[in-house]
Amino acid sequence: MSVDRRDMADELGKWEVQVRKGGLGLAVLAILWPGRLYGLEILRQLESQAGMSIPEGTIYPLLSRMKAEGLVDAEWVEADAGHPRKYYRLTDPGRARVREMTQSWRAFAQGLERLLAPIEGDIS
Amino acid sequence: MSNDAGLAHLDCYLDQVHRHLGGLPDAEVRETLAELRSHVLDKVGGDTTPARIEAAIAELGSPREVARVNVTERVVAGLETHRSPLWVLHAIVRLAGLSAYGLFAFLVSVLGYGSAAAFLATAAVKPFAWRQAGLWVQSDGRNSYVASLALGVMDRPHAGRELLGVWIIPIGLGLGLLLGWLTWRFGLFSLRLMGRRARRDR
Repeated sequence: MSVDRRDMADELGKWEVQVRKGGLGLAVLAILWPGRLYGLEILRQLESQAGMSIPEGTIYPLLSRMKAEGLVDAEWVEADAGHPRKYYRLTDPGRARVREMTQSWRAFAQGLERLLAPIEGDIS
Repeated sequence: MSNDAGLAHLDCYLDQVHRHLGGLPDAEVRETLAELRSHVLDKVGGDTTPARIEAAIAELGSPREVARVNVTERVVAGLETHRSPLWVLHAIVRLAGLSAYGLFAFLVSVLGYGSAAAFLATAAVKPFAWRQAGLWVQSDGRNSYVASLALGVMDRPHAGRELLGVWIIPIGLGLGLLLGWLTWRFGLFSLRLMGRRARRDR
C-alpha cells in the first residue's frame, strides 16, 4: 500500500471512530430502553447490536455522567453470579431524551441518505 | 495457581487504581472500585484463575488511565448541578495532578483568584487604612528602569509612590470582580475541555 493510500485509510479510520463516538451516547441510552442492564451487558450489546467496541474501563465514567445528568438510575443488586452487580435503567427524563435524540438522529440520517443516494450506484 | 491467587491479583490491581483516585470523595472511590471489581468478576464468569483475571484486567486498561478517566468524568459531571466559583476551584484542584493541562488550569486559577482577592481586599480596606492600603510603585533611585509594584494592605505606611489614591476603591472593586469572573469562566472552560479530552481518549 502506498503512503498516500495508507494516509487515506488512517483518515477514514479516524473519521469512523469520530462518527461512532458521536452516536455512543444515544446507543447506550437506546440499549437501556427495554430494561435494566449491568455494565458488561451494555458493552456486549453495544458490540453485538451496533458494532461499537469501546475500551471497557471507559463505560462506567460515561454511565456516571449520565447518572449525574439524571438520564439513568443505578442500583446494586445481589446477583446469582455470587457478587453484586450495578444495574442501570433509564429514568423518565432519560426516556424523553432518547426520544428527542432519536428524532434528531433520524432527521440527520435521512438528509444524509438523500445526499448519498447518487453515490450508491457508483459504489456497487 | 489457585483462584485465591487470581482474586489477590484483582485486589492488587484495584489498590493501584485506588492510589490514583485521590481526586474523588470516599463514597465515589468505593463505588468506582466496587464497579470495577464487579466488572472483572462478570468478565471471567466464575473462572477466577490468575490468567483469566489478568486478561480481564488488561481489557480495562492501566490503573492510572482507568483512574484518570473516572476522576475526570465524575468531577466534570458535577457541572450539571454545581457552577459556583468555589465548586469550580475545588474541581480544578481535584484534577490538577492528572494532566499537564490540569496543573496549568490550577496555577492560572490560583493566580487569578489570588489577584482578584488582592484587588477586592485593598479596595475594601482603603477607606479605613488610608496609608496602609493601595497600589505603590517604588524605584531604587539609581536606575529608573528598576521599579517594584506593591498591592494590598501593609502593616505600616509604604515608602513608595502611591499610584491610584482614592481611585483604588472603584478600580480595585471593578478589577477584582472582573478578574474573579474571568477566572471562574476559565475554570468552567477548563473543566469542560478536560471532560472532552477524557471522552476523546476513549
